[in-house]
Amino acid sequence: MSPALLASGVLLAPLAAAAVIAFGLRRAPGAATAVALLAAVLVAVGSLVLALGPARDFTASVELLRLGTFGLSLGLKFDDLAALLLAIVGIVGLCVHVFSVGYMREDPDRARYFGGLAIFMFSMLGIVFADSLLMLFIFWELVGFSSWLLINHHFQRTPAAEASKKAFIVNRVGDFGFLLGLVWCQAQFGTTQLDALAKAVDGGAVVAAGLPLLLFCGAVGKSAQLPLHVWLPDAMEGPTPVSALIHAATMVAAGIYLLCRIHFLMVPAALEVILWTGTITALYAALCAVTQRDIKKVLAYSTLSQLGYMVAAFGLGSLKVAHGDHHHLIAAGVGAAMFHLTTHAFFKALLFLGAGSVIHACHHEQDIFKMGGLARRLPVTFTTFTIGVLSLIGMPGLAGFFSKDAILYLAWAKHPGVFAVLALTAVLTAFYMVRLWRITFLGAARGEGAEHAHEGGPALTGPLILLAVLSVIGGYGWFYSGLLGGRFDGVIDSVVHPAGADHTLILLTSVAVLVAGALGAWLLYPAAGEDAVARRAPRLFGLLGGLQASFDRAYGAYVAKVQQRLAMLLNFLEQIFLAGLIVRGLAGVVGLLGLGARALHVGNANAYAYWFLLGLLALWAFAAGLLSF
Amino acid sequence: MGELTFNLLAWFTLLSAAGVVINRNAVNAALCLLLCLTGVAGLFVVLEAYLLAFVLLLVYAGAVVALFLFIVMLLDTSGAPRALPRRLPLIARVLAGGLIASGVLSFSARAKLPVSEAVAAAPGIGGALKPYAYQLFTTYLLPVQILGFLLLAAMIGVIVLSKKFEGLEDVK
Amino acid sequence: MIPATLDGHLLVSGALFALGLLGVLLRRNTLVVFMCLELVLVASTVALVAFSRYNGILDGNVFVFFILTVAAAEVAVGLAIIVALFRRRQTVQVDELNSLRN
Repeated sequence: MSPALLASGVLLAPLAAAAVIAFGLRRAPGAATAVALLAAVLVAVGSLVLALGPARDFTASVELLRLGTFGLSLGLKFDDLAALLLAIVGIVGLCVHVFSVGYMREDPDRARYFGGLAIFMFSMLGIVFADSLLMLFIFWELVGFSSWLLINHHFQRTPAAEASKKAFIVNRVGDFGFLLGLVWCQAQFGTTQLDALAKAVDGGAVVAAGLPLLLFCGAVGKSAQLPLHVWLPDAMEGPTPVSALIHAATMVAAGIYLLCRIHFLMVPAALEVILWTGTITALYAALCAVTQRDIKKVLAYSTLSQLGYMVAAFGLGSLKVAHGDHHHLIAAGVGAAMFHLTTHAFFKALLFLGAGSVIHACHHEQDIFKMGGLARRLPVTFTTFTIGVLSLIGMPGLAGFFSKDAILYLAWAKHPGVFAVLALTAVLTAFYMVRLWRITFLGAARGEGAEHAHEGGPALTGPLILLAVLSVIGGYGWFYSGLLGGRFDGVIDSVVHPAGADHTLILLTSVAVLVAGALGAWLLYPAAGEDAVARRAPRLFGLLGGLQASFDRAYGAYVAKVQQRLAMLLNFLEQIFLAGLIVRGLAGVVGLLGLGARALHVGNANAYAYWFLLGLLALWAFAAGLLSF
Repeated sequence: MGELTFNLLAWFTLLSAAGVVINRNAVNAALCLLLCLTGVAGLFVVLEAYLLAFVLLLVYAGAVVALFLFIVMLLDTSGAPRALPRRLPLIARVLAGGLIASGVLSFSARAKLPVSEAVAAAPGIGGALKPYAYQLFTTYLLPVQILGFLLLAAMIGVIVLSKKFEGLEDVK
Repeated sequence: MIPATLDGHLLVSGALFALGLLGVLLRRNTLVVFMCLELVLVASTVALVAFSRYNGILDGNVFVFFILTVAAAEVAVGLAIIVALFRRRQTVQVDELNSLRN
């Protein structure tokens, strides 16, 4: 089977599953589950075969539309970057599907849920395989739609419905910038094919800073950077496996993927903006996470923060590395961002699924202050969750440590200010994660659900174990070059590891921030029923808590005061001019013409004779040369 | 001589045509038409188309005008009330009259048509019957035949139109 | 004084045509309108014969023959229609024959 055919199969299998579920199996949840699971297995197997196989850089495309010189075609672009993300999507997707089988067992609407998952897989794979910005945009929108569908799963609950709308609308705002960038790209280069664009830029085309920044707007929306981050915490209204798949591992990573795909379009000014956006997001989200009560919200803000890390890494750009006596320019930003994306996918999915297991065990209790004592009762979940937490906060030896180190080194080499901020964020990360871990799992059981908690079946624990393993080994060099046969070297080789004195410095920094944060949390937060900081420093707590709501308030005020008024004004104008003058006016003119024409049919033969005379005059004028056609 | 005759006949024709237009009584109008046609026949004679003059008198003046007179007298239109002319038609009439008058006057305003003197001076060829008939039955044979059909159709049409359709009730 | 040239004949023809047209427009009795139509046709015959004479060809004359025939047929049928109409509507005034109005 040719690689292109296999890739198409991988892309279309979830679509087929979604179609089957949508058209036939809505009332048969068991069958729907089976179909979706089958598709997920096929995707996982296919993507691993493709990603770990030798085939690279094959292209296949099908042209859908041609308007003059503009052609819309869907095609495949498969290089190491795509292979890496494909593998991630396949593995994490499979884990989430298996987990969902157990998690959603009592949900009567799970057919719709699995259909949504299938559509999401299709859309995400479309983004992975996209060979042109236009195709990427199409699947981008599809992913947004799938996200809406899945967040909206419990649509009978108003918060869920509102959250899904918010997610979609905020994404749309980002996509507007993306679309503008797309149009600009097409106008300037005449194409949006990635290969053609790379060639054009290599050939010396000048790219204004606006173009990559507009395309970055899409990433700002999708990857929830400031100021379009407001949808991600609310998106936790969706079922937990959805949060794991979409809002931790894959969809939000699509923004980073987009950036890496267009890295050749970047100019220093744009990179500066991207860098600071990412950094500020990372810090802001970490600050917000400190005060959260909901286990999923903590993880959501953690995702925001880590995404900020990835974006900041990308914004740091390339690095000149000395090899012997000459210098190499390595796209270190791309490498570091993708590396962190990979490890983050593993441990964040693990954390979310672990949270799902906890929530499921505690009978859908999500407040961490009502949990506790789960270490004994949920051993597998506890172990894997701990591994996830340690990986996230950068415990040396685990995957997250290596990827975070790469980012910190890059920041140190290029922009010490950013390095300081990121280091501070790392402290906060360790702080709130240990807080979460301690309050959730340790101490005595504080709530009804926590007391009767017991481990879910193998469907819930199996994926946790797999992801835990990956979170441990996913950072080592030998994992990529040895175990996986160096298949992703195109990306992994771009990751620059610190050497010599820098190595020691970064190592020390990582350990220091880790210890500071963890110790601080351990000391401050006993495994008690209420937030210690809230009790001791209420004003600080209030300030931090208010950070989160500030953006929502600002947006709300803007919509109510500015946008509504503008909309009413436009409505008024439209009523007068468009509906009134133009539409009814035109109809009126036509009506008048009709009336006039009707008046001619008088039935009076005499009148007809006059018309005859008129025609005669016209003929005479024509013959005399006065009138000419 | 030719010019005087022509003028007499021309003015006679035009005056009787005016009579047709102006006369209130339909019978008077029909008789004015007769006079007009006589004048036109005279014009044909001046133009040396003798056969046509005769044909005109026979067919037109003899048959058509007679038919007109029959119908006029059949339809008793004497009781038609003399309605006052409405405003608009009056304006329309004035306008129409002005337009037509200007059209006629433009005839004299334009350039003269080229006429070769030699041909004009030569005697007219419309008088002899033989070449006329020859043309009619060779070059113009098709129109003659078609006209035959036309007359047939007209005859049938007239018969159908003038039938009184009684007893249509049983033809359902 | 109209000169007895081609243009003179054409002037007569034109004037006859104009008078006939005026009659069509102005008269309200359908029968008189018809008569004025005949005037129009006769005007065209005069023009044809004049052209034929002054160009030395016979085709104009022959065409007049056809015109006469057609005019006769037209009058016959037209009058039959008017008679049928009169039987129905008891009037031949043009402005009263307006049942197709609106």
